[in-house]
Amino acid sequence: MSIVLKARPAEDSYFENLGNTRFVRFRRHLILCAIGIVMMYPLAWLISSSVKPNTLIFKDLSLWPAQFQLSNYTDGWNALQQPFSIYLMNSLVIVVLSIIGNLLSCSLAAYGFARLDFGGRKLFFALMLGTMMLPGHVLLVPQYIMFSKLDWLNTYYPLLVPNFLATNAFYIFLMVQFMRALPRELDDAARIDGCGPFRTFYRIILPLCLPALATTAVFTFISVWNEFFGPLLYLTDPELYTVPLALRQFMDSEGQSQWGQMFAMSFVSVAPVIGFFIAGQKYLVKGIATTGLK
Amino acid sequence: MSQSTPSRRNLLKAVGVSALGLGLTACGRGFGGGGDSSESGTVQLNMVWWGDATRAQKTQAALDIFLQENPGITTKTEYQDSGPYKDKLATRFAAGNAPDLVAMRTDSLREYADRGSLLDLNKHTDQLNLTALPPNIRNIGAVGEQLYGVPSGLNTIGFVVNKTITDKYGVPIPDGDTWAWKDLAAFAKEISAKSGKKVYGTGFEAGTLANMVVFTRQRGEDFFTDDGRLGVSEATVTAWFEMIEKMRAEGGFPPAGFFDNIGSSSSESPLAKGTLACQIIPTNNFLSYNKDAGGNLALLRIPGESTERRRGQTIDTPHLWSVSAKSKHPAETLKLLDFLVNDARASKATGTTRGVPVNPNVTKEIASTLALDDQVATDYLTKLQTEKLLRSSSNPPGASAIAASLKTIATEVEFKRQTPAAGAKAFVAAGQKALAR
Amino acid sequence: MTALLERTTRARPAAPARKPAPRKRRRDRAGYVFLLPWFVGMLFTIVPFFASLYLAFTDYNLLNAPRWIGFANFREMLADPLLRQSMKVTFLYTFISVPASLAVALLVAMVLNKGIRGLAVYRAVFYLPSLLGGSVAIVILWRHIFGANGIVNDLLGWFGIHGPGWTSDPDFSLSTLILLHVWTFGSPMVIFLAGLRQIPVMYYEASAIDGASKWQQFRSITLPLLSPIIFFNLIQSLISSFQTFTQGFVMSGGTGGPADSTLFYNLYLYQQGFSQFHMGYASAMAWMLLVIIAAFTAINFLAAKYWVFYEQ
Repeated sequence: MSIVLKARPAEDSYFENLGNTRFVRFRRHLILCAIGIVMMYPLAWLISSSVKPNTLIFKDLSLWPAQFQLSNYTDGWNALQQPFSIYLMNSLVIVVLSIIGNLLSCSLAAYGFARLDFGGRKLFFALMLGTMMLPGHVLLVPQYIMFSKLDWLNTYYPLLVPNFLATNAFYIFLMVQFMRALPRELDDAARIDGCGPFRTFYRIILPLCLPALATTAVFTFISVWNEFFGPLLYLTDPELYTVPLALRQFMDSEGQSQWGQMFAMSFVSVAPVIGFFIAGQKYLVKGIATTGLK
Repeated sequence: MSQSTPSRRNLLKAVGVSALGLGLTACGRGFGGGGDSSESGTVQLNMVWWGDATRAQKTQAALDIFLQENPGITTKTEYQDSGPYKDKLATRFAAGNAPDLVAMRTDSLREYADRGSLLDLNKHTDQLNLTALPPNIRNIGAVGEQLYGVPSGLNTIGFVVNKTITDKYGVPIPDGDTWAWKDLAAFAKEISAKSGKKVYGTGFEAGTLANMVVFTRQRGEDFFTDDGRLGVSEATVTAWFEMIEKMRAEGGFPPAGFFDNIGSSSSESPLAKGTLACQIIPTNNFLSYNKDAGGNLALLRIPGESTERRRGQTIDTPHLWSVSAKSKHPAETLKLLDFLVNDARASKATGTTRGVPVNPNVTKEIASTLALDDQVATDYLTKLQTEKLLRSSSNPPGASAIAASLKTIATEVEFKRQTPAAGAKAFVAAGQKALAR
Repeated sequence: MTALLERTTRARPAAPARKPAPRKRRRDRAGYVFLLPWFVGMLFTIVPFFASLYLAFTDYNLLNAPRWIGFANFREMLADPLLRQSMKVTFLYTFISVPASLAVALLVAMVLNKGIRGLAVYRAVFYLPSLLGGSVAIVILWRHIFGANGIVNDLLGWFGIHGPGWTSDPDFSLSTLILLHVWTFGSPMVIFLAGLRQIPVMYYEASAIDGASKWQQFRSITLPLLSPIIFFNLIQSLISSFQTFTQGFVMSGGTGGPADSTLFYNLYLYQQGFSQFHMGYASAMAWMLLVIIAAFTAINFLAAKYWVFYEQ
């Protein structure tokens, strides 16, 4: 048995035309577009509010602004203690390192759980799932004390180091499920070819798990980019703040909130997430499906 | 393997490595040894509060004056929205990493003070001079004989009426110094009727503790007694709910579900949207409400102040300044606090973002420099101050649970899931249980 | 090929075979090496984990040292009406929103996996809510969509319907949150899509030659081969749904209102711990939730033997 990877270009349209009448296709697109509008609305509203003057945002609910105020962007960029580029850069550094950390450490652990057999495997797996089940609020104080003992307060270490140590059970579990779905014959074939567990992992399993890795990368990007509470607790210098911390500084329930500026900077901050998803999404689906097993 | 795979992987690797390099060189910050790296020989004070960016800019302006005159001291400031602020503060105190100067909610004061986490300011009168403050103001932060906080500024609640709306429908505004609750009901009913319910006459949340506390005092009861028990009677709670439900039935008060229990900012308020003619606000927010509602607001007292059994309004504060008991630099912290309280230049810089200055001499000195809207609220408050008011009561531990159950029960009454009498009974029972805990 | 289909319909638990000792040791070593980072990381997790277990048996107000009180916290939980309310809210939310959002996610993923023109665009658009979900700005938007005078009621007004306050009326607030949760079906959808793409095309081609109908293909190819991913999504959604916090927190401003109708278990736990400084009680609540979730997860893992298929 050998593995042949065969690309299938134009597969999408091949499938679309397969056994469907034109009417069925049209109806399907119509329904999908209708759902799409509901999904798009918040983004449209966000963009529209970001160019409205403060006083109009909540009075004029139409999507097309009656009055444009682009200064929300320029003012918002410089409204806080640091220019907004600092916050974007901080978030970017944390996100990139977190993705690298999660991909490396979680895939290693997942391969161990999914394809290797060793003493205590089931117990460890149950323990890992168990850590997902305890509400995070009761861990905050002990964690804070621990990181403070390590003298890691006001650094990025509490936000980053755990990611390099496979503490995110969600991603491990995700990859385990993907790896277990791969045919066992692959490992056998690799072993016959003389591959040890590491070569099998790196050469065979990882490339075939690209969708799971891409999913992990996208999910990590989104959750770390939006994470509020961790950075809030551990960072104290404004020049270390991440984007969500900065955004929350535009508003306070007791004061005169700068809504327009907040929406403008919100858009600036979701744009990279959307961009990352669009750029990365083709890897989400590059799996064994586009390949044949012969 | 297809040929594109390794090259793509190399590409990804290259992107990853270069991003890492970029990040590390551009942002060496965040990877240091951690902790506070203050220069040797200087004292670094950590000061935290909640608020928005504007409040932060004004506070920083005041700090700059102080820092210039005290070259041996630096400050490290932090501010957040009030919600997350509370959580971070609790975590920091729990981990023994408390800030030096802390903005403290009045309803959390006892939680911290009773457990010895705060410095007793009465023991440091040589460094912090509070003699200029009137006793009822100094007492806001007192617990028994000890003093655990100084008001950051003074505010109270008041009724704001949108004059543009009353003029439009030709409804005269009652005299705010002498009106009774029944005058409010009549006024509200008339607005709603004349506008065809496009604008409701009045609206405020029955479940907001501060509103009901004033009503309770007017009826001769203390909401919390001095020994920390629930003082409000079932009859008073019933009367409060019934009064509001009556206004609702008459149409002067909006229907159930009108107030979203989210977002209390001025620009999202029904007042700003023009769906309400008058509502209750904290006076230090008058500036922003007036701006958002079109600039034509009148500030009235809470109804019943001259017609009920006794005065209900008290002078309060948006928050207290407290000093951590474990502060490594209590002397410098107290010096900074003294500056904020007693130096007119500090109040000139901060304006009225935290209300009217607590030191009356300072208020007099800066009065002429205030914006017009600020002056309206300041005059309102200084006039109240000259009158004989009750001391504002401090909240016993457990008060936050009581505030929560009031909100729940008020909503149930609003949606007619409970009668006012049954709701009042449930509230008093829940309140007594929360305080006993 | 029919034999293959036959095989795929039958779920098979993996049965590790006993092997001789020296080889086992070497195999064990490989496993431990792969798990090395995880073992180190467990130190970070396990210390706070068991610290909270200790706190569950104490009276701990955050500011003074914890005081051992045995099972008093757990006894108090039995008599706490708000705790019962929060369980009701959480169970209701979980049992409706988890199946609903997974069904929608799977359905849309199947439609998109048909290889539709513009797939990339649809996928990105459907995933948008999940991308934006954490943003403060979107939270503010909800108020203006679902408020008593919000956009939804404006739309209903055109049809002469007088809508309720979707977030301010205790009869509707939880339903609104469930709706919002289903709206973010993008996350499970992306995982389903990735899983669907793992299924070798040749299975479908072969069964098409055998004359299998679409439904038969779904039953005997898609469902069994996707079952590990369905299982993952189910477990993951269950765990996160039992721990729902943010939705309830932002929509009610942290109160769990109106009238405790969105008082999720985790939200009540947070109020106890951080608003009322009853961290010992909150820790006890957390461990009780852990037991509940673990029980549900265990049931699912047991049931999985009968419907989840792993390649041998």
